[in-house]
Amino acid sequence: MKYYKNGIKSGRLIGKYKNYSIYSEGFISVMDEESRMYEKNPDEINFAYGPSAGGLEESIGFTLQTPGEIIKNVDVNPSYKMRDIKIINDDIYTALLKIERVNGYHAASNSVCFLLAVEDALEIENSDSNNERIIEIELERIRSNLHVIKGLCESAGFSVPEKQVSYIIERVSRIISVSFRHRFFFGANLINMVNGNIDYVLKEIGDIEKEFRLLYNDLLASKIFMDRLQENGIYKDVNSIGPAARAAGLKYDARIDSKSLLYDGYKICTYSSGDVFARFMVRSNEIFSACDIILNTGIKKHYMKKYDLNKSGEGAARIESPQGDIFYYVKIDHGRISDIIMSSPSVLNLYAFKKALPGNIFTDFFFVWESFGIWVSEMGVNFI
Amino acid sequence: MTLWFLNGIKKGIKTEKNPDESMFKPDYPSVLEGKSSYDCPTGAISNGTWIKEKCIFCGRCDLRPTGNQNIYNIHGKMPEIFKRSFYLYPIDSGTCGACNAELKSIFSPQYDANRFNIFEAETPRHADALVIMGVYTNGMEKIIEEAYNAMPDPKIVIAMGACTLSGGIIGSGINKKFNVEIAGCPPTPYSIISAILRYRGD
Repeated sequence: MKYYKNGIKSGRLIGKYKNYSIYSEGFISVMDEESRMYEKNPDEINFAYGPSAGGLEESIGFTLQTPGEIIKNVDVNPSYKMRDIKIINDDIYTALLKIERVNGYHAASNSVCFLLAVEDALEIENSDSNNERIIEIELERIRSNLHVIKGLCESAGFSVPEKQVSYIIERVSRIISVSFRHRFFFGANLINMVNGNIDYVLKEIGDIEKEFRLLYNDLLASKIFMDRLQENGIYKDVNSIGPAARAAGLKYDARIDSKSLLYDGYKICTYSSGDVFARFMVRSNEIFSACDIILNTGIKKHYMKKYDLNKSGEGAARIESPQGDIFYYVKIDHGRISDIIMSSPSVLNLYAFKKALPGNIFTDFFFVWESFGIWVSEMGVNFI
Repeated sequence: MTLWFLNGIKKGIKTEKNPDESMFKPDYPSVLEGKSSYDCPTGAISNGTWIKEKCIFCGRCDLRPTGNQNIYNIHGKMPEIFKRSFYLYPIDSGTCGACNAELKSIFSPQYDANRFNIFEAETPRHADALVIMGVYTNGMEKIIEEAYNAMPDPKIVIAMGACTLSGGIIGSGINKKFNVEIAGCPPTPYSIISAILRYRGD
């Protein structure tokens, strides 16, 4: 492993997987600390929501402790849809099909990070394709951030802007489909190769930026919308990642502090208030910066090479997915996966949600939930 | 101050015409044709024959996409009562999130499923169809059963995506009877709307 150390706690906390704590420069095996149990007051009730209910895109269960309107505590159970994914002993390309489906909405981030770890393990030089990978991930970031903003509009009952965001999301999905063959980047990534053509991305992305900027300005001009977002779901903690950390003023971003996929001269977008509004601002500004990155990242023309994958080694990689740091560690034995660790950003984001919600009222619930952009699919994965 | 109503009007109509005529039709997923001896990891090619329910459209075999997204099976006919309004209740058994997103997309302005009298229900008690997505998971089995039992009669079940139909590349499918089976990984918004319209007899 070129950039990561097994057994060393170094750098900032970026996630947890089974009995591993993952840091930005290494990972260690530790048992989770017992979380402090919330002591419910006699005048409070448990309000159960989920695992399947209108308003929830994925299956997840919440138990809200409340005396009436204010939420005092929330317990979350993301394990209803826990999937056992058999990946040990798979060859690399069969494993890749499964990695793409860990979180389909972020298949580009997951598959690129997995392949970077594989390339690290097998000592494959990958500089040819990394710029295309950056474009792919930034396109995914645009759609993912739009998805979060759509959720915020929906929470506010703002149907017109919600439909306008949906329209832009569908346009981005079509750009992905035309350029990378599939609306969710399935099949787009190979060892040191991206199966795509970015000409159409470059042609269309300026329009996407223009369209979103109009909508963004309209949303900022809406006092009702701002009022619902500001001072709602405040979360400031050094153990946070991605847009949630940056919305609290922390300059955490794998695009500048991970060597796996470095961005030249990238400037981090931050905000300071740590509330839903700050996360909205960071996500929106990252849509604009993603458009800039796509337009200004040069592509190296290269052809598919044949690599000897029947080798052994261990490798790791960390990149900035739309929700924060994503990390993969793989151990390969004669071309087959013998061990795998994955740290999904949704784990720490869920922890952040649980800390940010208490003190808010029921009608704030969806704003806080949507603002963290949590995907249950990637948390409910058990590699076997 | 933003006047959203006027703002919406100013943008004009974004909805595309009849699904069969002008909707965006990507290559994957769509009906595959040709012959292939590829050793498919999901078993979607058996004796050279393509099995759409098992296909995850990874593009690694020699079968070529046709762009035809009518990749579904219809069993029976939609009850007459649903023709004026048809409410879907999505339930996630164990998805990667892609099916969930595509189902939501049918309500985006480009597709606007509402114009076909297709709506989303917030609870199974108001639903006409249960849309099951994802692989079988222990944790969701009872929840799906409860949701189905909570629905008023008549009711139908739509299975969406390779994971539900066959387990895809991830696990096992859902062992239930389905009125509509939509293949794809995930099915496109066009496929979903087209399957429902076909089931309705439109």
